[in-house]
Amino acid sequence: MGTAPTKRAARPVWQRPVVQFVVVGLVVAVFLAWLTGVMGERLAQQQAIEDARATTELLADTVVEPALSSGLLDTEAGDLDRFDRLIRDRVLGGDVVRVKVWDAAGRIVYSDEPRLIDESFPLGDDERAVLDNGGSDAEVSDLSRSENSYDQQLGRVLEVYTKVSAPGGQPLLFELYLTDDNLQARTDELFGLFRPLTVGGLLIFLLVTTPLVWLLSRRADAAAADRERLLVMAANASDAERRRVARDLHDGVVQDLAGTSFALAGIARDASPESDLDRTRLQADLERLASAVRRSLLALRSLLVEIYPPQLQAAGLGAALQDLVAQAEQADVDVHVGIQGTDQLSDNATALIWRTAQECVRNSLRHASPERLDVCVVIEGTPGVAKLVVTDDGQGFDPDAAVVPESFGLRGLRDLATEAGGTLAVESAVGQGTRVTLEVPAR
Amino acid sequence: MFNTSKTSLTRIGAVALSGAVLVGFAAPALAADGDVIRRGSCSGHSDWKLKASPQNGRIEVEGEVDSNVNNQNWKWRMLHNGTVSARGNATTSGPSGSFSVRRLMVDLSGTDRIGWRATNPTTGETCRGSLGF
Repeated sequence: MGTAPTKRAARPVWQRPVVQFVVVGLVVAVFLAWLTGVMGERLAQQQAIEDARATTELLADTVVEPALSSGLLDTEAGDLDRFDRLIRDRVLGGDVVRVKVWDAAGRIVYSDEPRLIDESFPLGDDERAVLDNGGSDAEVSDLSRSENSYDQQLGRVLEVYTKVSAPGGQPLLFELYLTDDNLQARTDELFGLFRPLTVGGLLIFLLVTTPLVWLLSRRADAAAADRERLLVMAANASDAERRRVARDLHDGVVQDLAGTSFALAGIARDASPESDLDRTRLQADLERLASAVRRSLLALRSLLVEIYPPQLQAAGLGAALQDLVAQAEQADVDVHVGIQGTDQLSDNATALIWRTAQECVRNSLRHASPERLDVCVVIEGTPGVAKLVVTDDGQGFDPDAAVVPESFGLRGLRDLATEAGGTLAVESAVGQGTRVTLEVPAR
Repeated sequence: MFNTSKTSLTRIGAVALSGAVLVGFAAPALAADGDVIRRGSCSGHSDWKLKASPQNGRIEVEGEVDSNVNNQNWKWRMLHNGTVSARGNATTSGPSGSFSVRRLMVDLSGTDRIGWRATNPTTGETCRGSLGF
């Protein structure tokens, strides 16, 4: 019995290529979102720092330095008041949450936090470098330092400082503390620019490619199912072939040889010295038996050809087909084999033509009981198309009827023809004979 | 010079007498929590008032002159620990013929001495007051 192709079990959802593609794509999208967020934050921080430095330098030049006085350096209350009012009016507010003015000794000459005024703290290397060389610098403030003991409520702040000069020429350090509101706004702004380009682009890519991946996956699944079906059919065909050979041997050659054996035994008994030998009858019996042995040999040869056709190249196709139809001739079927212009046939086309002819002849003899059988191979057109037509006048069948096991051979051949770039057509009707046409590229 | 509202009556009397001899009469007034108020008379017919109030780490100082005459021009100064914190010109107005100015001062450590000076260049009248905060 043949084995029908089994329906493959459905794969788990996570093993489906489309799902894997989408999941990986989403993971990449999330990673890119995170990466662009980090990059945007860094870039925004740099830009915010640059903005803060520019703002600090501008305030130092236009507001702070003109308002510095010697009395401020001496912590005179009136000078402090005037400077404080100026700072509160024109510097503090918005992002600026703390102002300090240092002298070179690390003493806070002024701060909007009065408790810091006249307090001293060691200056860092960066601050001292600005005091010595000018310019400005910025950093995220370390609120754990003692100078920031009153700044804990400010949260994360950016600390920017630049050099200013008192009327007497003393270098002072003007320091601003800015909240990170501006930093966050910059981050959002830059991330807003990156996000559509990266994450959005990738999501669009996913949307566009997912249907394509789904389609390719479906095709791959269909191809795999076809391959599986062909393998099962090949196994079934091989099994059926072995059973057919055994049956043909048992019903044909073995029966013939058994009959010949019995006949020879009878002749031997009749030829005993005691018998009255009729030489004329003996000769006729031996000739009949010799003919039976030749038929058996022919049947065996035909069977051998079916099992493994010799010289199955283009040049040997005609002889192979002649051997193939020998069994039909024995069955008193009027067989005609025609071959024309097959020298250019490729080996693959030759093999496919021979297999198809073999299946058609076998089906015809087994099921159709034909009186005439025609096998014709020709090359038509340019580029050449090899055309095999096998026609019988047997009892035919209804091609639309339920599939019978024997038809698996033709279905397999149809698949092979399709894979070879050709077609196989079966035309038949009950009582009208059968015509099978195979067309494949000759090369 | 002048005592706070919390000083003893003895000191109030002594300081008020000396103040009256120099620039006119000065007396403490009722004050809200933390406020310090001084009032006094100028060298002419005008009165002055000086008020200090705590304001978010600052001292809000209000100086006032009441002459009962409108459209008088006055020069004024606010002193903080003996140095000029603010100065300006003002004109009396309104039904009482007065002017007042407000300024914020830094609340330094220790007691802050706050002074109030106003001069009418036309009449030569002067007003002087001070307080400790």
